[in-house]
Amino acid sequence: MFRNQYDTDVTTWSPAGRLFQVEYAMEAVKQGAAAVGLRSTSHVVLATVNKAASDLSSHQRKVFKIDDHIGVAIAGLTADGRVLSRYLRNECINHAFVYESPLPVSRLVVRLADKAQVCTQRSWKRPFGVGLLVAGLDETGAHLYYNCPSGSYFEYQAFAIGSRSQAAKTFLERRFESFNTYSRDELIKDAIFAIKETLQGDKLTSSICTVAIVGQDEAFHMIDQKVIEEIINSMEIKEDAPADQAPLQEEDKGSEEAPMDI
Amino acid sequence: MELQTLAMKDATIVDDGTTERTSYPYVTGTSVIGMKYKEGVIMAADTGGSYGSTLRYKSVERIKPIGKHSLLGASGEISDFQEILRYLDELILYDNMWDDGNSLGPKEVHNYLTRVMYNRRNKFDPLWNSLVLGGVKNGQKYLGMVSMNGTHFEDNHVATGFGNHLARPILRAEWHEDLSFEEAVKLMEKCLLVLLYRDRSAINKFQVAKITEEGVTISQPYALKTYWGFSAFQNPSKGAVGSW
Repeated sequence: MFRNQYDTDVTTWSPAGRLFQVEYAMEAVKQGAAAVGLRSTSHVVLATVNKAASDLSSHQRKVFKIDDHIGVAIAGLTADGRVLSRYLRNECINHAFVYESPLPVSRLVVRLADKAQVCTQRSWKRPFGVGLLVAGLDETGAHLYYNCPSGSYFEYQAFAIGSRSQAAKTFLERRFESFNTYSRDELIKDAIFAIKETLQGDKLTSSICTVAIVGQDEAFHMIDQKVIEEIINSMEIKEDAPADQAPLQEEDKGSEEAPMDI
Repeated sequence: MELQTLAMKDATIVDDGTTERTSYPYVTGTSVIGMKYKEGVIMAADTGGSYGSTLRYKSVERIKPIGKHSLLGASGEISDFQEILRYLDELILYDNMWDDGNSLGPKEVHNYLTRVMYNRRNKFDPLWNSLVLGGVKNGQKYLGMVSMNGTHFEDNHVATGFGNHLARPILRAEWHEDLSFEEAVKLMEKCLLVLLYRDRSAINKFQVAKITEEGVTISQPYALKTYWGFSAFQNPSKGAVGSW
């Protein structure tokens, strides 16, 4: 989109009924490194690509634990993401202090959305430049939400945000209908596969990929790098064919074939 | 967050720089007894409100349902109980307004009350009550107590006031897991009878309330049969030593 006379202030409408500053904020999310989320009836998985600023630096942290039952993955301005994670953690812990029980995911997401909306209606503020995939479990089941800078939020079975997320979304669109029946391990595998789609040619290694999971009997936690390594290796044994020929059911419980020299 | 402000702005702070504190209760209710049974929780209390040593009000409902999953019984200052009901009414209202399939269960309500009671105690302006909170949610039975200083705990059977001294020993001896409703009522009436005989603020008009997964039922007030035909009551001054 191009510069125009209605995009200086977040509090200025365009004649077409758009708030350009908010849309520019959503652009920032699209430029960030990819993040995907998938949900079954009992688990939710988040996976992100960790870009490093240079070969010398460490990788950006994009997945945050909010509470034992909730975690988020961010795309966009990581600084904004960190601040929002602190807010989310605060809301969860305050609720747990008063009510001795976990804050329902949908209620947390609404508070976050309302906070984001405030920044779209104050002339002295700017919208947050980060999109969040909120994954959590409460008594109504497993949930995956996407919160965007505009203050809107949606619930998803699976979603991808950030750069080249369309490739991941295409992959997920083909398979999401069976996610509710997926086992925990199948869900993780598909999350990594979706991340692989966003890399489009770049090598997928466990060092640039973070995977986290939350489940009914599993507090939110990052999955160990070694485990991710194993899954990636077993994936690469299976195929190197392009994504649209991937089989609907993947069963690689163990590598029966010998690893190829890639 | 909106609810905490409601509880806080009702604290007695006078604008001329002085503060006040609650010193003693005026209209009080006596014991409440609660116990878990097979399908849920049963709670009983008499319907009396005493004004000091006068049994002034005879139809005070001291057990109320809270939301879909809980029952609250209170002893102590009746006006403070009514205030607590106001707070909880607002709490449940906001909870229902979310309309999202989540609801506050007895555990959450118990904890909220603990926070309110403790915070008031810290301001030297307590809500002068001992509260019994019972309920069932998703098959889980819950029974807990909070006192005016914020002490709270859960147990299979609880009692407030005189009930602690007269009813709990009976319950400790005779309560067991999975009582049927009839057995639980019988055990409850046994405790209530002892309290009626021995607690001077008890009146012979009781309500028994039960809560199960299906919902709440509070009985109409009824009386227990008492026996006063002991021979020692026939001529009470028979063996008395007179002074004149």
